[in-house]
Amino acid sequence: MDGHVNDPNGPRIRIRHLDETSIDFVLSNTHLSVANSLRRTMIAEVPTMAIDLVEFHDNTSMLVDEYLAHRLGMVPLTSHTVDEFKLTRDCTCADYCKECSVEFNLHVKCTEEGTRTVYSTELISSNKDVSPVTEGPDDKGIILLKLRKGQEINIHCIAKKGVAKEHAKWSPCAAVGFEYDPHNNLRHLDYWFEKSVKNEWPLSKNAQEEMENDPDAPFDFKAEPTTFYYNVETVGSLKPQSLVYMATRVLQEKLGGLELALDEDQNPESNANMDDTEPWV
Amino acid sequence: MGLTSDREIAQLIAGEDPLFLDLLLPTLEEGAASKLFTQRAALDYIGSKVKGMGRRPGAARRAPFEDALDVLANTVIAHVPVIGGDFRAKCVYVAMMARRVLQAVSRENMTDDLDYLGNKRLELAGQLIALLFEDLFKRFNSDLKLNVDKVLKKPNVANAFDVYNQLQCHGDLITQGLTRAISTGNWSLKRFKMDRAGVTHILSRLSYISALGMMTRISSQFEKTRKVSGPRALQPSQWGMLCPADTPEGELCGLVKNLALMTHITTDDEEEPIRRVAYALGVEDVSLITGRELHAEGTHIVFLNGLILGITRAALRFVRMFRMLRRSGRIPAFVSVYIDDHRNTVNISADGGRICRPLIIVENGVSRIKDMHIQELMSGKLQFDDFLRLGLVEYLDVNEENDCMIAIYDKEIKTYTTHVEIEPFTLLGAVAGLIPYPHHNQSPRNTYQSAMGKQAIGAIAYNQLSRIDTLLYLMVYPQQPMVKTKTIELINYDKLPAGQNGSVFVMSYSGYDIEDALVINKSSLDRGFGRCQVMRKFTAIVRKYANGTYDRVLGPPRTSEGKIPEKYSEIDDDGMACPGTRLEYGKLYLNKESPSDGGNDINAGTGGSSAVQYRSTPLTFKYPDHGYVDKVMITTSETDQTLIKFLLRQTRRPELGDKFSSRHGQKGVCGIIVQQEDLPFTDRGIYPDIIMNPHGFPSRMTVGKLMEFVASKAGAVKGELQYGTCFGGSKMEDMCRILVENGYSYTGKDYVTSGITGEPVGAYIFNGATYYQRLKHMVADKMHARARGPRAVLTRQPTEGRSRDGGLRLGEMEKDCLIGYGASMLLLERLMISSDVFEVHVCETCGYIGYKGWCQMCRSSKSMVPIKIPYACKLLFQELQAMNIMPRLVMEDI
Repeated sequence: MDGHVNDPNGPRIRIRHLDETSIDFVLSNTHLSVANSLRRTMIAEVPTMAIDLVEFHDNTSMLVDEYLAHRLGMVPLTSHTVDEFKLTRDCTCADYCKECSVEFNLHVKCTEEGTRTVYSTELISSNKDVSPVTEGPDDKGIILLKLRKGQEINIHCIAKKGVAKEHAKWSPCAAVGFEYDPHNNLRHLDYWFEKSVKNEWPLSKNAQEEMENDPDAPFDFKAEPTTFYYNVETVGSLKPQSLVYMATRVLQEKLGGLELALDEDQNPESNANMDDTEPWV
Repeated sequence: MGLTSDREIAQLIAGEDPLFLDLLLPTLEEGAASKLFTQRAALDYIGSKVKGMGRRPGAARRAPFEDALDVLANTVIAHVPVIGGDFRAKCVYVAMMARRVLQAVSRENMTDDLDYLGNKRLELAGQLIALLFEDLFKRFNSDLKLNVDKVLKKPNVANAFDVYNQLQCHGDLITQGLTRAISTGNWSLKRFKMDRAGVTHILSRLSYISALGMMTRISSQFEKTRKVSGPRALQPSQWGMLCPADTPEGELCGLVKNLALMTHITTDDEEEPIRRVAYALGVEDVSLITGRELHAEGTHIVFLNGLILGITRAALRFVRMFRMLRRSGRIPAFVSVYIDDHRNTVNISADGGRICRPLIIVENGVSRIKDMHIQELMSGKLQFDDFLRLGLVEYLDVNEENDCMIAIYDKEIKTYTTHVEIEPFTLLGAVAGLIPYPHHNQSPRNTYQSAMGKQAIGAIAYNQLSRIDTLLYLMVYPQQPMVKTKTIELINYDKLPAGQNGSVFVMSYSGYDIEDALVINKSSLDRGFGRCQVMRKFTAIVRKYANGTYDRVLGPPRTSEGKIPEKYSEIDDDGMACPGTRLEYGKLYLNKESPSDGGNDINAGTGGSSAVQYRSTPLTFKYPDHGYVDKVMITTSETDQTLIKFLLRQTRRPELGDKFSSRHGQKGVCGIIVQQEDLPFTDRGIYPDIIMNPHGFPSRMTVGKLMEFVASKAGAVKGELQYGTCFGGSKMEDMCRILVENGYSYTGKDYVTSGITGEPVGAYIFNGATYYQRLKHMVADKMHARARGPRAVLTRQPTEGRSRDGGLRLGEMEKDCLIGYGASMLLLERLMISSDVFEVHVCETCGYIGYKGWCQMCRSSKSMVPIKIPYACKLLFQELQAMNIMPRLVMEDI
């Protein structure tokens, strides 16, 4: 695995389309398990920032505290600087600090008649790099709640770094499409049809990337998929290309950790970290 | 009664029918045999049979024939009025009754069907309260009279008598009686010897649908223990009147019914104007008619609310005219008229409690409602009531419905059609109306859903957040269903929904989905799927006692160091926890203290020698998970006691074992919660919120659910809501077309990749959005376990029930299993040692229970042995002793 990065025969990524929130790329020259791991990592293990603690100083709105806290947690925050933060559990601080969190304040009181809509962009961030995601400068963001005259909300939020394994609010992905072998050359699929496979199962656009095997040629049962077509949408917290990049890095780190552990397992003498007091040794 | 000759009687009963005359002959012969030949003799005979009927003591004894006349006029068939001693109407009525008997004897199909809806009347709140009021008012009057008499009988008439004082004393008898009857549901009336329990119910506000369902409910008077299928069976006559799906399962099945969507229940209409109209339309008065004319060919006897009005010789014309007058508004809209061809009668009903429903009138094969009317309806110029006023639509009751030719759709109208249905889906009730495509489901499934829809958590009312209910379940993000029905729009379920549209894959996954269990996506739960709030009310009364002491509410106590004890940490200085406070298990939210003597010590409040002693009577948070104080309300009860109400709130995300259901009677519990990345996904990156096991389909045959999948998937793809209305709804063909146009398979199946391996799943997976309801049965409310805990005082056995932290019972059948297996030591442990083991000392000589080392019976300490028996056993012995039975224990070595 370690040789793959510079190996001309190693995995390659070809970006077919890229915009603010989605990336369409082809991953080739690799194994299915690697491709799937990349997908799983993108969904669950790429860290982002999200509001994790909410302190309510005042809440006379219609929404109860937990409700609003849940809504705030779901607000995507720009997380391109997520690497500069520590996970709170790894941080030296007791509760939270600048190194592991970003604070937000929201204090709105509705004084006029009618309803006052509170948007996510009204959250005042303590860190200019971490703020609610918007679609352009005119976008007010996500509606957090609505206030009637006399209702007031005064809250203090703490956003932390985390991964979606723990809670889906940290997931940078919306939908992740994933496909391989559009012509079904490998016969991983057994198409169900009424009259004709060709008519009833139209080819996807990825079919242009590959050649269909000659139907008369003998079936190569040893063939394995090597090319994978991805379509990743983000929620806006990360740029799609950095999402893919970070996912590969997380994957690498995990494999690195595994490699290290295996090494240690094989040469127990060289293990400096082994704690003698541990009962299972 | 003025009918003396046999010939006249025979004619009135049998008409000219020789068969009936034959049947009647023995009766006449018996009359002749009894040698009663004059009217006077007959009356005397009847009079001699009359038992001392409520004759007031002291009143002069009347001659037997007077008694007879009195009974005949006022007791026999009392609802037929005798005016000025004219018995004619009553004679004809009795004759008709006899004729009915003869008809039933000669032809079996002339008996009435007692399950036929047209022969039934519903009792409404107004009627019942009117009866209750009548009873109370009479009692009030007699009581008042009694009291006034009592006062006036007294000799001193010095001060002027004023009834007003008497009135004031008993002024609230009627109010109290009504309040008590309504709050307990016990209706006991003297007049009808009625004594019924459960007449009123508290309206369930657990969900919008349960409230709605309860308000359309009809319960039958029929005894539920009797094993007769007739009253429980679906009656053809309830088509369109009562919902065929919505009935409970179990012992009340078919006895409790629900109204269909458009039904109306009539109230009493005045009879007199109708009688006048009937006479004006050519009805000949009964008193002028002989028996021969009464039963002549082509004549129909006209009844009004079961009373004979007269005859008509042109029944069809009469009925036509009558209906015309009704449609033009000259006769109340809910008066029904129909011809009974079997009995040659015309029946006019204006009584209350008939079920009726609106239908569109058809004339000469053309519906009276034209496009013009529909347009005006759409533009809001006309409303339903205007349609009624204009005579386009009329209400028919079950009997009149049977006399009409009703087409279901406009296209089916023939020349003989008289009415056309407004919409066939209205034959379902409000609750069954939520089901999409119910006409494709196996019918019990619709019944199951009708029961479950009432348990779904959702929005219950617009004022739900200002209410303080004892128990309230609210969904955090309720959604209206993707596949709606017209009923849903009519009852505003789309504005107060109870459920969410989830992406559902039908496949097996992980093995934790057997027996209808569901696999749920953890990320969906993180994002708020199925999340709900549970609000619960707790009340405390701050009592004032008769001796002048009162309960007090105090701020938190402090230890000597000035610290507040842990469990008082959330109590403010006013003795209560404030709204928004987070409560953990064991925390107090009201610090109340009551006088320890329970307010019985007479000296306590009067500043007696000792200061009042208090004991703590707080409110403590007793749920394992944390909760919040939502509201605190301080108010007073009717008796001026201060009430403090706390509304506590918990927000719950679905967990293992929580119950869910689709709208097709397919309930299931959450079997496993899976990380999103492990779940299968389509090539577009669509993940399931719920995975449902396909074994749920073959035996249940809920085709409607499959159709809901396809329709809501198409709706989601196209971005519009679809309809699954009964007997209609979005066509599958159109839905499949939408799917194909958007690159999906028309079958609703998709190619799916396993989230674990990345390889395709070996089958196409049927998937789509489906409306799922979260039902109120939650693990958090039910989970219970105990190792040690409280015991009952009397038996020293563990308490029963979760609320008392009770033990789990090793019941009769479990006991049998252990006996069968021979695990005697285990039995001993479970039944005695872990329950109520008790050591007693038994005297071997006399066999009675004594003290340790001393037998009081033998007055000796020689042969005492300790044994272990259940405390309940010892208790039994003592109770037996108390009733002079002496059980002896015979000791033996083993």
